[in-house]
Amino acid sequence: MTMKTIQIAAESHTDATVEPSRSSLPRLCIVSSGREPDSSGTMLLELMEKLPATLPCIVQIREKQLAAASLLNLSRRVKAMGEASRALIVLNERIDIAAAAGLSGVHLPESGCPPDKLSRLRHNMLIGKSAHSLESALDADMLGADYLIFGPVFDTPSKRRYGSPQGLDKLEAVCHAVGVPVFAIGGVTTENAKRCLSAGAHGVAALSLFYDNDNVSGILTNLQRVLYR
Amino acid sequence: MIPNHPFLCFITDEIRHPVEQARQALGGGASMIQLRHKSASGEQLYRWSVEIRDICRKSHAIFMVNDRVDIAIAADADGVHIGQQDLPAAEARKLLGSSKILGVSVSSPREAVDAENESADYVGFGHIFPTSSKEKHTVPTGPDAIGSITQAVKIPVVAIGGINLENAHLPIAAGASGIAVIAAISRAEDPEAAAGKLVSLLELNRLR
Repeated sequence: MTMKTIQIAAESHTDATVEPSRSSLPRLCIVSSGREPDSSGTMLLELMEKLPATLPCIVQIREKQLAAASLLNLSRRVKAMGEASRALIVLNERIDIAAAAGLSGVHLPESGCPPDKLSRLRHNMLIGKSAHSLESALDADMLGADYLIFGPVFDTPSKRRYGSPQGLDKLEAVCHAVGVPVFAIGGVTTENAKRCLSAGAHGVAALSLFYDNDNVSGILTNLQRVLYR
Repeated sequence: MIPNHPFLCFITDEIRHPVEQARQALGGGASMIQLRHKSASGEQLYRWSVEIRDICRKSHAIFMVNDRVDIAIAADADGVHIGQQDLPAAEARKLLGSSKILGVSVSSPREAVDAENESADYVGFGHIFPTSSKEKHTVPTGPDAIGSITQAVKIPVVAIGGINLENAHLPIAAGASGIAVIAAISRAEDPEAAAGKLVSLLELNRLR
């Protein structure tokens, strides 16, 4: 598969077309809490304020409880905030809303619309996909996803209902089997993030780590050290 | 294209298999099928959409997807039907292009005018009669309110909400271009026959 050049929607830097190949994607993906009560996005914006300017990351808006109109407004707000940092903003599931808001991409759940069917809306947007098995990771890779989020790798309260964690061995198998960057998700901490990278992961994705913690700035600094050592 | 005679739009419910429901409604002569399923996955919606699109084409009927512009474009549906909480009509139109059909649910002349200005091809207006299909916190508009919408916009007005065999002639007499139903077909003992009777009734009104 050819390396796809991804033009990041960043109207504020007119000529600064960033062209990361897939392997130069940020190594950190922050997933929103799923607890935003409305399109103001207070929790997510507060978290983004704490992002170090030197830490590139993907911010995935995942607020399934909001209707499309609210998701559009929230996406526009987060995008405006993201332009001040080095974040790539992607929206969970809805590439139509992501396109309307001018986001950098969409993140499809494992049971989302197949990536190859989205070519008419894709243009130069990133398409990420969640995978919870080797088979679905291979499928997503074949159908044109730009990156994968695989998990849950470790035990995490938010994913316990999906059964026991997949573990580092399965993460490693997936990372070696697919040709696209893989982010490990599920119970990732500053302590175990390095083991995910050693298993072949391009980076890590997390949610609870940032929302159920008092020392977010400290965590971000430590993660940056691990991910960009 | 939207029929220029009183037509029947069937909206799938979330209880039975949507493709089977669509097949029955088309068998009875429905001119438009709208896939509406809020809890299905994107992949599932895509697969249902492709199937319903194909059977609609065979019946020369229009296939609309509710809310999901992404699925409508991916599955090459004929269009999208959006509500006031969904993507704004103007944004949906930009994504859809000019050839696809855009329907917008409205509950007032003001919303209807906005929808028309944002390039909607038709508006859905209701709920006309008491309905159990969707939880409604407002009182039914009654068929007479349809006139306030048809006077405000030039595009077709499709009446929705509690329409059945007993009352379907009223919205048409009040100026609606079509009727949209869920339960009158999906909960009928014989859905295909129920659709057929509604279509006959609309045709009778056309001849009047």
